[in-house]
Amino acid sequence: MKTTVSESDFEVMVAQTGLPLSAEQKRTLYEAYGMMEAMITRVNTPMPVELEPAHMFDVEVR
Amino acid sequence: MDEILTIAEASRLIAERKLSPVELTQACLDRVTQFDDALHAFILQTPDRAMADARAAEARVMAGKALGPLDGIPIGHKDIYNTAGIRTTGHSKVLEHNVPTRDGTVVRKWAKAGTVLMGKLSTHEFAMGGPSFDVPWPPARNPWNPDHFTSGSSSGTGAAVAAGMVLGGTGSDTGGSIRGPAALCGITGIKPTYGLVSRAGVLPLSFSMDHAGPMAWTVEDCALLLQAMAGYDAEDPASVDRPVADFTTGIGNSVKGMRIGVVRHFFETDNAASPATLQGINHALDVFEHLGAEVSDVTLSPLAEYHACGSVILSSEAYAVHEPWLKTRFNDYGELFRDRIALGGFIRATDYMQALRRRRTLCLEVKSAMADLDLLVSASQPAEAPRITEVPKWGTMEKPSLTMPFNLTGYPAMTVPTGFGAGGLPVGMQLIAKPFQEPLLFQAAHAFEKSISIRKRRPMPALAEAA
Repeated sequence: MKTTVSESDFEVMVAQTGLPLSAEQKRTLYEAYGMMEAMITRVNTPMPVELEPAHMFDVEVR
Repeated sequence: MDEILTIAEASRLIAERKLSPVELTQACLDRVTQFDDALHAFILQTPDRAMADARAAEARVMAGKALGPLDGIPIGHKDIYNTAGIRTTGHSKVLEHNVPTRDGTVVRKWAKAGTVLMGKLSTHEFAMGGPSFDVPWPPARNPWNPDHFTSGSSSGTGAAVAAGMVLGGTGSDTGGSIRGPAALCGITGIKPTYGLVSRAGVLPLSFSMDHAGPMAWTVEDCALLLQAMAGYDAEDPASVDRPVADFTTGIGNSVKGMRIGVVRHFFETDNAASPATLQGINHALDVFEHLGAEVSDVTLSPLAEYHACGSVILSSEAYAVHEPWLKTRFNDYGELFRDRIALGGFIRATDYMQALRRRRTLCLEVKSAMADLDLLVSASQPAEAPRITEVPKWGTMEKPSLTMPFNLTGYPAMTVPTGFGAGGLPVGMQLIAKPFQEPLLFQAAHAFEKSISIRKRRPMPALAEAA
């Protein structure tokens, strides 16, 4: 599954992580990123604004 | 001792003083010597500790002070469980020389129950990476055919139990890491309800998806092991403070009247299972109906929805755990782990939050679907084990995981063997119950297990050939 992100934009994404990737490692991750991107798109389907997350802050933290 | 006993069988014989824990342990050590060069189930063997534990158990039994059904039972711990004074590596160069000073909670509990520690068992790197050939220890191999994969990440436990090198062991399950190797190695394994078993002292992968649980040859053995693991622990913030059920109470009881829903689209279309896997599940459903259970089909959201949601959460949380080492020791990780985990660094906070919100809707969907049901049935793995050299690097992302939905929901889920595929390797099914309904899960799983004859078959012919 090919990513919609350009290689230059992906370079920026890699730089933001701070990971010490070689050129080959960047290429490997770029080729695989499309699968992650598809999953991210899937979880971003519209949800009602009032929908609460599964995990709420618990003031009585143990 | 040629016969490999189950925990329940060995326990009864030990209690009757017809079997010595020392003799039982020696038989397991002999099998380790005979088979582990081919299987690599162990990262570290602890034979001196095992014999010391066994002699102590024997002394208790002879003094009439046995600790219970696990006293004198040989076990192993997945090498992400901290063991005081014994190396705990996560199967990674990153922790190659790590020696914890404290036992994890489950390790401590099993030791108090009298178990005999045989050693530390292989895992996929940090419970996610394998099968890796570029880490300090080789990956575990499938006892039914050592050229084949065990699945993972509790790979060593799956192999060691199937080969009778231990009678039970610990696993962890973040996306299917107990249920996968249980299915491919032909044993049973349960991912308990989230919060039932403490993860304190277990190397974390994903805080909200990690579960600790047991793996063993039979359903009853898993119940006995879980009994000694479960319970509130203030050291795990997810631990649930409630009384622990008796997990063996329903074993042997009928499933008559039990309501079972089958999530057919998960394993018939969403991640289509092999003919042998389908045949095994359909046979199990026939058995349940014959025993008086009511079986009906259930439709949930596509498996890919659960998989995507689980993967975004897991990847984000795992990246957060490993980021400091990824930045400083990237190349000390094996290729599979570091590349898979690095993708988590590209997930934005807002995507993670959206996944948490989506998780809630999927949890509500499963809760609603099970309102009038006791159990769900699905597959654990789509087919029998592939060759270990042919496991795709991105396989966990290419097809939706059959086990992930119940890490996402936290519901208890168990693998039970159903038979063998065309290649002679095991296949299994997955049973799922509502939260904290493990006794019902064991009851149904045991009812099916005792109806089939395959549980007498061990992988020894293939192993003897490999050894």
